[in-house]
Amino acid sequence: MSSHKSLSVLLAGTALSFTALTFAASSVSAAELRVFASSQHRPDVWRKAFDMYEAENPGNKIIMETGGNTSELQAQYLNTVMSAKDSSLDVMILDVIRPAQFAAAGWTTPFNSTIGDTKAFMSKYLPAYAGANTIDGKVVALPAFADAMFLYYRKDLLEKHGVAIPKTWSELTVAAKKVTDAENAPAAGRQSALQGLSFQAKAIEGAVCTFLLPYWSQGKDLVTDGKLTFDKDAATKSFALWKSFVDSGVAKANIAEVATDDTRKEFQAGEVLFAIGWSYAWGQFQTDASAVKDKVGVAVLPAVDGGKPVSCLGGWEWGVSSYSKNQVEAQKLVQYLSSPKISEFMAVNASLLPVFPELYKDADVLKAVPWFGSAQEIVTSAKARPVTPRYNEVSEIIRTTVNAVLAGTMTPEKGVEQMESRLQRVLR
Amino acid sequence: MTAQPNREGSKSSFTRFLDLSETKLAALLLAPAAILLVLIVVYPVGRLIWTSFFNLSLTSGMPASFAGFENYGLLLKDPIFWQTTKNTLLITVVTVPGALLLGIALALMANLPFERKWPVRLSLLIPWALPLSFAGLIFAWFFHSEYGVVNDVLRRFGLKGIIWFNSEEWAMTAICLTIIWKTSSFMALIILAGLQTIPRSLYEAADVDGAGRVRQFFEITLPLLKPSIIIALIFRTITALQTFDIPYTMTRGGPGSSTATLAMYIHQNTVDFLDLGYGSALAVVMFLLSMAVTMVYLRFIRSTR
Repeated sequence: MSSHKSLSVLLAGTALSFTALTFAASSVSAAELRVFASSQHRPDVWRKAFDMYEAENPGNKIIMETGGNTSELQAQYLNTVMSAKDSSLDVMILDVIRPAQFAAAGWTTPFNSTIGDTKAFMSKYLPAYAGANTIDGKVVALPAFADAMFLYYRKDLLEKHGVAIPKTWSELTVAAKKVTDAENAPAAGRQSALQGLSFQAKAIEGAVCTFLLPYWSQGKDLVTDGKLTFDKDAATKSFALWKSFVDSGVAKANIAEVATDDTRKEFQAGEVLFAIGWSYAWGQFQTDASAVKDKVGVAVLPAVDGGKPVSCLGGWEWGVSSYSKNQVEAQKLVQYLSSPKISEFMAVNASLLPVFPELYKDADVLKAVPWFGSAQEIVTSAKARPVTPRYNEVSEIIRTTVNAVLAGTMTPEKGVEQMESRLQRVLR
Repeated sequence: MTAQPNREGSKSSFTRFLDLSETKLAALLLAPAAILLVLIVVYPVGRLIWTSFFNLSLTSGMPASFAGFENYGLLLKDPIFWQTTKNTLLITVVTVPGALLLGIALALMANLPFERKWPVRLSLLIPWALPLSFAGLIFAWFFHSEYGVVNDVLRRFGLKGIIWFNSEEWAMTAICLTIIWKTSSFMALIILAGLQTIPRSLYEAADVDGAGRVRQFFEITLPLLKPSIIIALIFRTITALQTFDIPYTMTRGGPGSSTATLAMYIHQNTVDFLDLGYGSALAVVMFLLSMAVTMVYLRFIRSTR
């Protein structure tokens, strides 16, 4: 580094042209890195973080690639690139559920040799992310940002109708009915009907969390010590709960068409009272183009009656491709992107939850996103979806069943039965 | 091995130069095409069949191991395999005749003596030129329960809108209608070409003999169109068995797996689940299915000649 810096200074001092400067710098320690980032998580703000890195490491150039607007579409793309052993991607962002699969396939380069004492290094992160990225002692990726599911609600409407923030799903049903009945009365003169609750039942990754939330809230786990521990009763109750929202009109009849970002858009347009969503939505609710600016509250997700509140752990990780020809530079970049500095930058500018516990008390972060102060507890207590290299299959089984049950083409009982037999084949 | 002087006239200077016999020349000239076919058809298909006999999953972290017929055994017990095969056959049985009937109607219309032919031809070409996935995405919006134009029209007629993708039957109906719209123009183009080869004099003679329009259609047009129709049917049936883009973009196979096709299931197993062994076994089944259908058609053509 120092030789490279002094060389740059020397060259600048001799007042050579700018092109000569970059040429000389690139011959010392520089690379052109291609980074794959998810298009739904503010690539515009990530670009600014990349620009910061480029400014601090002259000669390095980062080309950003984005594609697919859901986790599964991005995984499909990465699966294609990686199974072809393509060296064109150096760094890629991975959903928290994928490191196990990437580790099994040998697609990411472990960080163990570059981060020193692995345990000490990883202990700086929130424990859930230290765990999700360490597979069999290998650090296969480093955390980009944390996430969990929250209950977004319309502060103004709850106040107007004197309704408290619901703590259980039954309370939510009652609250939603009271508010929507009044708001949708012809006298209220709304253009489009107010939905009581919006959640995800399209056959997408988010639907896996939809199923797991009430299932976990009953104190049950899907996988324990790598073995399937499927509780049929809890699963049936989970489906029955979601179905009851549709049947009672709290959620709209075509909820099976709703994906993660549809919930965000409809809430942002002022058409939804309660919404289940991830942290990124907040930043967009607070823009000037939003119909609900300053009218949004965030709370812990409700629990089932007699159960405990629980959230679904999200978050994304940066990995270095095993096929990258710029291993050293790529690892260096990922360590930079996974640093407290960038975590804070992304929290302030993109409302992405930090991966370091101390940032949840950081003054700048709390100024930008006040509710992050209470989010740490939710993220820390959020439960992770099953960790398995065959996660894509587990996910597909759960999400298509959620979709079929909520479309009404399958009864909750039939769905549970089919799900169990299919899960047994994957998670033996 | 020198060329006989008396046969020199029948041989090209090229053959003489290389001093080859007729058979060797044939082999030499066919070699480029044969090599190309081996590289792009025989090798991939052979490799596919080979892989289908292995346990090869990139998520297992294990090297490939020989599995014999295990993948095929799993496949027979896999309810999703049977469901997707059933869906694929249903789509084929509904959309191939559907597109044929609509295609004949469109071709007959395009063959009418319009003053300007190009607007008619262009409107026939556009659905055909549109990429399948675009057609799927466009029709997914048409059939959307809240924002779609189909439900809007239904409501204007005082009917209740349908949540198309909430029901197995309606979702399948929407997909079949889209496929028929998308593929009928291809049928129409082939049939239109066939129609233009039918001599006008036949119709004039029929007019003289007092045969009506309907009779002319069944006695002259249809029999003479038969070769074009069969060609169109072969192409359409094979592409129908491989249906992927339209259901993939419209419903993703939902609700549940009720509109997923065999091609989508192969894609899911290989690209999403990275289970290359099982995915290959599924692909071999689809290959055999396509071969069987083609054979039936070819036999039919031979028997009618």
